Amino acid sequence: MIFNIAHTTEYEYSSPVSYCHNIATLRPRESKGQELLSYEINIYPEPAEVTERIDFFGNYLTRFSLQSQHSVMKVVTKSKIIRDYKAYRESFFTDACKGVTLNSALAALQSNSPEIIEAKQYILESIFIRRTDKAIRDYAELSFKGERSVFEAAYELMQRIYTDFDFVSGFTSISTPIAEVMKEKKGVCQDFAQIAIACIRSIGLPARYISGYIETLPPEGQKKLIGSDASHAWFSIFIPNFGWIDFDPTNNQIPFDQHIVVGWGRDYYDVPPLKGVVFGGGKSELKVAVDITAENNM
Amino acid sequence: MPVISTAWLNNYFTDYKYDEMFTPEMEVKPHWNQLFNGLKDLGEEGLKTRQKDIDWLLSENGVTYNVYNDPKGLHRPWNLNVVPCLLHESEWKTVSEGLKQRAELLNLVLKDIYGDRKLIKEGIVPSEIIYGHRGFLRQCAGINYSTDKLLSMYAADISRGTDGRLWVVNDRAEAPSGMGYALENRSTTSRILPEMFSKMNVKRLSGFFQEFNQMLLDASPENKENTNIVILTPGSHNETYFEHAYLASFLGYPLVQGNDLVVRDGFLWMKSLKGLKQVDVVLRRVDDVFIDPLELREDSHLGVAGLLDVVRRNNVAIINPVGSGVIENPGLIPFMPAIAEYFLKEELLLPQIASWWCGQEKERNFVLNNISNLVIKRIDRTNRESIHFGEFLSSEEKEKLKLEINKRPYRFVAQEKISFSTTPNLANGKFEPRNMVARAFSIATKDGYSVMPGGLVRVARDRNTFRVSNQRGGTSKDFWILEDTPSVETKAQYLNLNTSISVSGLNDLPSLTAENLYWAGRYVGRTLVNARFLRMVLKQMVLVQDNNEKPDSLKLQLLYKAVTQLSGTYPGFCKKNKKGEYAMDNPYEEILSVILDKDRAGSLAHTISMFSNSYYSIRNLWSSDMWRVFENIQKIWKNFEEDSDRSINKMIKVLNQLITRLIAFMGLIEESIMVQQGLLLYFIGLQLEQSILTITKCRSLLTIKYDEQVEYELLEYLLVSHESLNIYRYSYRSYIKIEHVIDLLLFDLEYPRSLTFMFSRIKKDIAKLPHSNTINHLIDYQKYIFEGFSKLRLACAEDLVKTKSEQDLLRKDLDDLFEHLSTLLFKTSQSISKTYFDHTNTQNQLVRQSFPI
Repeated sequence: MIFNIAHTTEYEYSSPVSYCHNIATLRPRESKGQELLSYEINIYPEPAEVTERIDFFGNYLTRFSLQSQHSVMKVVTKSKIIRDYKAYRESFFTDACKGVTLNSALAALQSNSPEIIEAKQYILESIFIRRTDKAIRDYAELSFKGERSVFEAAYELMQRIYTDFDFVSGFTSISTPIAEVMKEKKGVCQDFAQIAIACIRSIGLPARYISGYIETLPPEGQKKLIGSDASHAWFSIFIPNFGWIDFDPTNNQIPFDQHIVVGWGRDYYDVPPLKGVVFGGGKSELKVAVDITAENNM
Repeated sequence: MPVISTAWLNNYFTDYKYDEMFTPEMEVKPHWNQLFNGLKDLGEEGLKTRQKDIDWLLSENGVTYNVYNDPKGLHRPWNLNVVPCLLHESEWKTVSEGLKQRAELLNLVLKDIYGDRKLIKEGIVPSEIIYGHRGFLRQCAGINYSTDKLLSMYAADISRGTDGRLWVVNDRAEAPSGMGYALENRSTTSRILPEMFSKMNVKRLSGFFQEFNQMLLDASPENKENTNIVILTPGSHNETYFEHAYLASFLGYPLVQGNDLVVRDGFLWMKSLKGLKQVDVVLRRVDDVFIDPLELREDSHLGVAGLLDVVRRNNVAIINPVGSGVIENPGLIPFMPAIAEYFLKEELLLPQIASWWCGQEKERNFVLNNISNLVIKRIDRTNRESIHFGEFLSSEEKEKLKLEINKRPYRFVAQEKISFSTTPNLANGKFEPRNMVARAFSIATKDGYSVMPGGLVRVARDRNTFRVSNQRGGTSKDFWILEDTPSVETKAQYLNLNTSISVSGLNDLPSLTAENLYWAGRYVGRTLVNARFLRMVLKQMVLVQDNNEKPDSLKLQLLYKAVTQLSGTYPGFCKKNKKGEYAMDNPYEEILSVILDKDRAGSLAHTISMFSNSYYSIRNLWSSDMWRVFENIQKIWKNFEEDSDRSINKMIKVLNQLITRLIAFMGLIEESIMVQQGLLLYFIGLQLEQSILTITKCRSLLTIKYDEQVEYELLEYLLVSHESLNIYRYSYRSYIKIEHVIDLLLFDLEYPRSLTFMFSRIKKDIAKLPHSNTINHLIDYQKYIFEGFSKLRLACAEDLVKTKSEQDLLRKDLDDLFEHLSTLLFKTSQSISKTYFDHTNTQNQLVRQSFPI
């Protein structure tokens, strides 16, 4: 399927900003079953300079700075991607994937192949997911057992998070510690993804954080509202000798084509859509709108 | 060699380990002979005196080492023991070859870690040692640097191992400290022990510092004539701030803080008085993660937003590059032999402390089974709290630690206990052995690395302490490398730096320095004027029987009110406070508080502390004479605070001392700092402050008409507090009349203490500021001063003293003039701040967060 994604982020400041430096992680990367057809980013007011680079994890970062005084900053991206996840998704249910048990996975991670070395960094603590406690490990161990299939365990973990945790926006912020989310069992997609990642790492397997979008489908017969789509986040687990598999604990599903990948990292810290340092500005008000439209000509 | 027996050597050893100076039989090793004889000739008393001289010199020069949360206060004096530590060149040669090799190896490791990561890919180094180290900054991966060596500076802590050789125990690369202290130690010790230093063929440090300077120049990404180098410090609260300032003034580069710098158009700029000036090289003492709030720690105010991107574009060089912290990594130690083999096909020349990385099963088991004999560290935490000495842990603590290790084994390294050698230290007039560690410094040169012939030796606090650390109250020593033949001094002992690079003018003055100088001027002026006024008031109080009740005389009441107005300590004597108490009912109490309560804004104690802060943060501009007087002022005040005597006479005495020192200090400033170094800003601040306070003082005492006797006395007090009574008598030779007083204090064009004189001086000084206009239209602050100056020139004392009618008590015209002048000065100050000290922009995060990286 081909999707057109328009993503607008707007900051309105209570007092003027004299200059600012920003980094955006908004350009969708290539990933399994997904290709980027076109992309543009427009920033208002006109930035003094824009540069793009690929970061350590392979994500596209856009860095820009606004050097003249402004009270509003607007970043608009338009991406066109083609996504066909079906074939890859179906392969999850084959023995090559499902047959990998926790014990065999842990043993396979001892190898020094480039793929394993690359994946192993996602077992270590990361900036937002650190010092995880026993509660996390206990929670993980209910699903992950030595001779059990890793895929099945991860699937179950996703289901359990979906069932045990309540989606409550506004309860957590990006700085809410994992332990607190675990204790309160409330949060948003970021929190659920990070809880799952913490669990998987606690038993010694690699897991990473995926930042992206999800197309929301309106109820049957209703017209879709503009701006109703959203930035989204989910997690991915590494199954040695097979590959990375995505799970969306917020929606209790393995992504289909509606999950559009923008970037990934160890946790949210590595792939925030937009961050920056502003000089002046006072208080700011943020508005975000995402629109995803599918082109049905395939 | 005969066995030595001297009183001050009694009980030198209780049990012998390796000693630097003595053999187990208490014979002096040959290379120590000359020093030993020299010290013996000095005798116990002589040595004590020399030590005292050192302590005095260090404290006079303000050599400090700040300890966070130290009850002794921020600026703890640096400890330097009179007995240097010696090493013969023959041994040092081996050590320095080993250090050069290690520096090169770590340089290659650093390049590899942020480049191809072959060490990881080819299985030489386990990935967790790098990826699991907080110092590995993924933001820095893949940067192409223009310098040949990535690791420009490298420091190693070395100490003797069990085999008597010097071993490496720590690698330091992020922003290694100690070089400046080593230099200061050398300068002090060579002055205190001249007879020994000059005869003992001690290798000199000057060549090394020349190379150091050359290294900074060569680091510039662009080859140009005037390379701009700055030294970036976290600020005056940092523990080694003294050293930052010392190196800055020694090398002649501006000392800046993050606020002084800004990133624009892909380059790094220093905010200077004139405007932005491009920076090519940053010698930084700010830690990796604090250096760029855009890409690293978001909540850091010590760095510069966007700096990493400038590095990425190769438009600035940071020494050492951001991310070097990853090689401060004891996890690498067990793999160093393999790394040496991999990169250089060589064996390690220098032994290193035995270490076991717990990420490997066999090693981990060994560590868990032998934990009591080992020292456990984190691979990425070298602070004391993260170091566990197995032998001192309770069995409960041991179990807890084992659990931690099992949970995240890759994070831990165990090391054997350092055995240390001892070296003689003078303590209470006796020689005592102390465990010692030396920090050695290497820098990148065109062909390899160069090692400082010397270094910073630190010894434990007492003979039973085996850990060596500055924070724990250890002491330091000069480190002499001795040659058999006299050291040929190729150049003068002082650095012959390439002079074309600096001598920067007022335009290039960092704006933060400019601001500090401006406020230094203002606070010094405020302290002096307030101290003089308070002294005059106290002298009146002495004459009163009881100062704990409301004074009968009107003149005293007026003086008290003037104290409140001058110091700005409202409500004070002017009004009842919120609790309904009226200070006038107990003047003594209130005056005491205005002098001593440092938490009260406007009090003398508060002003002095503001004055000290502003001076401390520009200490690289100071001469040592200034330090001496500054320290003296601090001491006077401290003693007063601790003294129980709170009598009025005592207070007068202290103020007398304070005022004398302040005046000496002000005189020294004028001759120690050059106008283009920023003295102009100091003068502007000082004159502005004195003008403002002169106006306040005159306004309090002159604008209301009183009966003749009261008025006469007030005029006299005013003249006294203004140190102008003698001048008045000399000029007018008459009964004190208000018209004449106004003429003298306000309008006299020749008298330096008059307001008109000060305005005229400010007018001249501000015209020299970079943005001032001397040809066409004046800019704002010039206009205000010009207007004030004209007002003063046009006024006439005869008219001003009149009131509207005989019954009217307020001298309205005079009061209006004062008010007008105050407003103009206030606006001037604001306009200068706005034009030159750019602070309106507070740094904020787009998305507020703060996380340790």
